[in-house]
Amino acid sequence: MRTLVAFALALASAAAQAADALDLQVDLRLVASDGRTSYLDGGLGKLRFDEGHDGLQIGRLRAAWSGDFGERWNARADVSLWRWDDATRFDITETYLEFRPYPADGWRSRVKVGASYLPVSLEHRAAGWTNPYLISSSAINTWVGEELRTIGAEYSLEWLGTRQGSDFDAGIETAVFGWNDPAGVLIASRGWTLHDRQTMLFDKMGQPGQGPVPGRVLFKEIDGRPGYWAGAHVRYLDRVEMRYLHYDNRADPEAYDPGINDYAWLTRFDSLGLRLETSGGWTFIAQWLAGNTSIEPETGYEVWDFDSTFLLVSKAWGPHRISARADWFGTDHVQTSWPPPVEEDGTGFTAGYSYDFDDHWHCAVEFLQIRSDVAARMHLGEPSRAHERQLQLQVRYAR
Amino acid sequence: MPRGSEERVGNLRPRAKVWAGFRRAGLASGALATLALGAGSACAAASLTVMVTRSDGTPVPGAVVLLHGPPGSRPAPPATYVVDQVNLTFTPDLTVVPVGSSVKFPNSDAVSHQVYSFSPARRFQLPLYRGTPYAPVKFDQAGIVTLGCNIHDDMIAYLVVTDAEWSGLTEADGTWAVANLPAGEFRVEVWHPRMREVATTLEKHLAIADATAGKLDVHLMRPLRPEPLGHKPHSWSDY
Repeated sequence: MRTLVAFALALASAAAQAADALDLQVDLRLVASDGRTSYLDGGLGKLRFDEGHDGLQIGRLRAAWSGDFGERWNARADVSLWRWDDATRFDITETYLEFRPYPADGWRSRVKVGASYLPVSLEHRAAGWTNPYLISSSAINTWVGEELRTIGAEYSLEWLGTRQGSDFDAGIETAVFGWNDPAGVLIASRGWTLHDRQTMLFDKMGQPGQGPVPGRVLFKEIDGRPGYWAGAHVRYLDRVEMRYLHYDNRADPEAYDPGINDYAWLTRFDSLGLRLETSGGWTFIAQWLAGNTSIEPETGYEVWDFDSTFLLVSKAWGPHRISARADWFGTDHVQTSWPPPVEEDGTGFTAGYSYDFDDHWHCAVEFLQIRSDVAARMHLGEPSRAHERQLQLQVRYAR
Repeated sequence: MPRGSEERVGNLRPRAKVWAGFRRAGLASGALATLALGAGSACAAASLTVMVTRSDGTPVPGAVVLLHGPPGSRPAPPATYVVDQVNLTFTPDLTVVPVGSSVKFPNSDAVSHQVYSFSPARRFQLPLYRGTPYAPVKFDQAGIVTLGCNIHDDMIAYLVVTDAEWSGLTEADGTWAVANLPAGEFRVEVWHPRMREVATTLEKHLAIADATAGKLDVHLMRPLRPEPLGHKPHSWSDY
């Protein structure tokens, strides 16, 4: 994959002409948290910032480059740093080449090759796959940002109805991808979380050698079998958007990679989301995702079902925005050969306010509370139930 | 004012010495039009005021009114128009241009745009650009041209290319007025980008005598589409 990315970057920069753009973003946080040791540090705490990470923290340092070349080609690369003591510091969240032919008779195709986000989230609408409503993402889209990336080729076909007097636009999209075989390991071994940290292409999740998620590599091809996803969306004017996606990484659950000490996790899910916006500045988002993941080591067959739902309401007026979201999430270890099962249940409540000073300066405050019952915490000698709270103040400069 | 059903539209009795014929397109659309002519001023020229209202009676500003005159009317001369791109928005987002006119599409934004139309009246595309690198685009065929940007799907604008001798947009009070008309038979077309009537444009024939002040009321029978929510913050993107 390194070769693919290096090739994409080299090709893009070589061919890029004058019309390119560089985005820079500095996002700092002031944090107060009573969270258990975070999953980032070998624990099963659900918060990005645990009680050991109060005070001033890096939210995100980001640099993104986008270049157009030729008439219809665009290339981009998005690089971020989330924490100074991460295993990899500056690393790539997304990089791809996009082919954008002109619409013909109301239809338009798009092709992306590289590493990019799946069209699942209805929250992530801002540059760098950022959530403009709240600092932390829903459980569903936190997971999408952690374990899923289309590393391959994507094709989408859009019917531009509103350009032809219709109230609707609609489209279908599909992709064939590799390097997504570990997808599922986090949701099975750790469970759901709510935060804004996106896994990078060469990232390791958690500290190596520590805890239930010991420096996991998440983007790796293990079994040589490509996966696919297919989705559809429909929009009513600029008011309502509905998205559906089916994902199947077609992993061979018996395949094992000693290099990263992980199996290929056979993961399949369906996601359905709806976003409604009104002329009064209200936004409502509802999303549901459910699926299962399995591995088949020599000791037996392990299967987890997982599902999550959230409802978000947001109201914007001028530079102000207030938002609130409720999340419900769970995993069920439905088949195991080494009981007790590793499973969980939980809810999240997030509320926030944000203010845009201008096009560059943005600040936000967010309260996040997660109540969870995680069976695996007992392996760490902790009570399975936890009630974790986190208050963040964010100041962000972007240009 | 008769409103509500096509039967009543059909029973309309135009007042004064006018002939008010409804084209089937206008009728089928469900929109109503009534024409009233009053005594004109001393001068021989006639005038016409077109008023476009919603189904609830409130005025519709920004509706396109095209007035085709009797044979011999002087055509509107072609000219060069400008549709700029500022803050990821076409400005203006609705322009009426006489057939044969040219339109410049400068890009005043810092980001590139890729302007296209696949409307039958004029298909064209301007490859990715900033500034004003391209010659104006000529529009030789009457019709509605929908403009888009292939990079920013929220950008949309309309050109109404017309061979009508008189044209314009309704004001805030829903009216569009024209004076110094010759006597004769006219055809009026009304269109709005957010109009949901069945026919693409509403049409009506009318005759205007010397020294009359005509008034044409056009009632849309279906609600307009809601106004766009307005452009999103610059940092927003499609994922």
